[in-house]
Amino acid sequence: MTGRRTWISSSLLKGLSVLGLALAVLPQPASGVPSFARQTGLACEACHTVFPQLTPFGRTFKASGYTLFNTLKVQDIDKLKHSTLSLSDLPPISAMVMASTSMATKANDPNSTAGSTDFPQQASLFYAGRISDNIGAFIQITYDDQSGSFGMDNTDIRFADVANMDGHTVVYGVSLNNNPTVQDLWNSTPAWSQPFISSPAMQGPAGAAQIQGAMAGVTAGLSTYVFVDQAFYAEIGGYRSALQGASVANVGDPADPNVTNIISGIAPYWRLAYEYDWGNQSLEVGTSGIYAELRNPTTPAGFAINTSLQHALTDNFTDYGLDGQYQYITDDNQLTVTAAWVHEHQALNASFVTENAMDPGNNLASNPSNNLDSYDVVVSYYWQRKFGASLGFYGVNGSTDPLYFGTVSGNSNSAWGVAEVDYVPWLNVKLGLQYTLYTKFDGATSNYDGLGRNASDNNMLFAYLWVSF
Amino acid sequence: MRNVVVTLAALTCLIGGVAVAEDAAKPASTSAETTATTVCQNCHGPNGNSVSATFPRLNGQQADYIAAQLKNFRDHSRSDPHARAYMWAMASQLDDAAIDALAHYYADQKPTLPQSGGELAATGAKIYANGVEAQNVPACQTCHGDHGDGASVIPRIAGQHGDYLRHQLEAFREELRESDVMHANTKDMTDSQIEALVSYLGND
Repeated sequence: MTGRRTWISSSLLKGLSVLGLALAVLPQPASGVPSFARQTGLACEACHTVFPQLTPFGRTFKASGYTLFNTLKVQDIDKLKHSTLSLSDLPPISAMVMASTSMATKANDPNSTAGSTDFPQQASLFYAGRISDNIGAFIQITYDDQSGSFGMDNTDIRFADVANMDGHTVVYGVSLNNNPTVQDLWNSTPAWSQPFISSPAMQGPAGAAQIQGAMAGVTAGLSTYVFVDQAFYAEIGGYRSALQGASVANVGDPADPNVTNIISGIAPYWRLAYEYDWGNQSLEVGTSGIYAELRNPTTPAGFAINTSLQHALTDNFTDYGLDGQYQYITDDNQLTVTAAWVHEHQALNASFVTENAMDPGNNLASNPSNNLDSYDVVVSYYWQRKFGASLGFYGVNGSTDPLYFGTVSGNSNSAWGVAEVDYVPWLNVKLGLQYTLYTKFDGATSNYDGLGRNASDNNMLFAYLWVSF
Repeated sequence: MRNVVVTLAALTCLIGGVAVAEDAAKPASTSAETTATTVCQNCHGPNGNSVSATFPRLNGQQADYIAAQLKNFRDHSRSDPHARAYMWAMASQLDDAAIDALAHYYADQKPTLPQSGGELAATGAKIYANGVEAQNVPACQTCHGDHGDGASVIPRIAGQHGDYLRHQLEAFREELRESDVMHANTKDMTDSQIEALVSYLGND
């Protein structure tokens, strides 16, 4: 659900088209991939409770640049015996297929059906493994059945090394990635948080913070990090817009829906976390955030300013949050609890003063600034990495701004829960049955769209198959 | 804000640069320590004193035992579930010299002491010292020494993670881990006797 917005209103046709395009480029959930296992010789359980949830060792493997190997390699050295080539003898290629069928309580609109079957819902190819002694990559290319096309998905290319300083183990590195938090080590930040897979037909609330997926796949970020004694983690970096299928350097038409939400300059990103491990348990607490000034911003209502990118006003978003994760991992029991809170301050310098071309007489925002809070708490448990269940509670609360959010209530306040049971017959095959239940949607329990649709109409039963090989 | 980003990034790289320089200055004789502190440590902890009970403590372990186990992992003659999942791969690229160097590096580290105390540990101490004739359990101390320090290829078990000890005894009993001697010694051992031994020897 995070980062996906499929809200639809019959009065906002343009918003629909913008959202459709946005969905087409958003990275989809990914997983731990078998090429890592082939490279390291380690079974999935070394890095995952059950994919894609990471164990402490999996976090270190990721921080270390995906470079650990235990296989033969093609290598070369120079006259000083420095490594000049270090390739795995097997290309680190993997594939992943998701297939699903889902049934909503009520069809999204009068022209649609309540049921949907997706085969494949998503099919991905990965380059996931080492490139050289200190460089590794997780690169995902995905076919998405909603867009019917291939596109770049989650990407994280790293340089990393490890050093010992006064008895402390310091893993340090640089990540080049395309989604704020995709490089993160814990499952309590947006890119890798549960649910890891949802129905393509799932409706989501109008409002979500920028860091919760809006910048995924359409940005390029460079960050540097240190991970000390597998405990203290610090990262700082910046993101710029890196559009797919369009270019900010060649905008022919300001109304091109692909050229929206363009980061002005660099959006700084930061992350601090501390993990304490003891016995079979680990506890992490952390904070992260991003500040982004967006030119030509798109509102949650689906409207864009559509002005020149030069000298344009910007809507400025300040996201910061707290997250935590607890894990208890033994051979028989794998328990993970995550919790996160994200606050976003929206300074709508552009939207507040700009008239909506699709709705003359009204501007794009009612307020000069808004606040938005999102939270989630998820408990997941597996027995012997074979049978699992999870329960998650999610919510969004924020300012009331009818023009900006475009909802009847004027806000996007929502609350929902997701329950799931899983069967993992092999460690790279997962069968899941998931139910999503809304108690509030876009500010109301009933008739939230003014056309008689209730929050519970978005409830969804979803069954899926997820295989990696 | 941009200046802050650049400054912190430069600081991080500087820290890394210093670390690299220090590594480069190390003599080749420290390669075992380098391997231990950059690879093994991820699971087995600093100096072999692991945090997670999934992974055994290696600090102060008998060198001959570590070397024998690494060779067993390498040739797959030890095939319990964790050996397959973790150590078959990790030992696969180690030659005999590297194995011996790692074994001696960990043997030289200060061992962790047991945390025994209480009634259950006292029962465990009796089993350790005298065995249990009714279950054909011999006295552990006959091979593992008066204080559980081990000798040569007999491992130190004093101060090991309790969960790890429990899993190994169960694995020997169920023949998940290969050892004719240890299977014979544990095949009739009850869960409560295992718990008593864990309480006497272990340290979580």
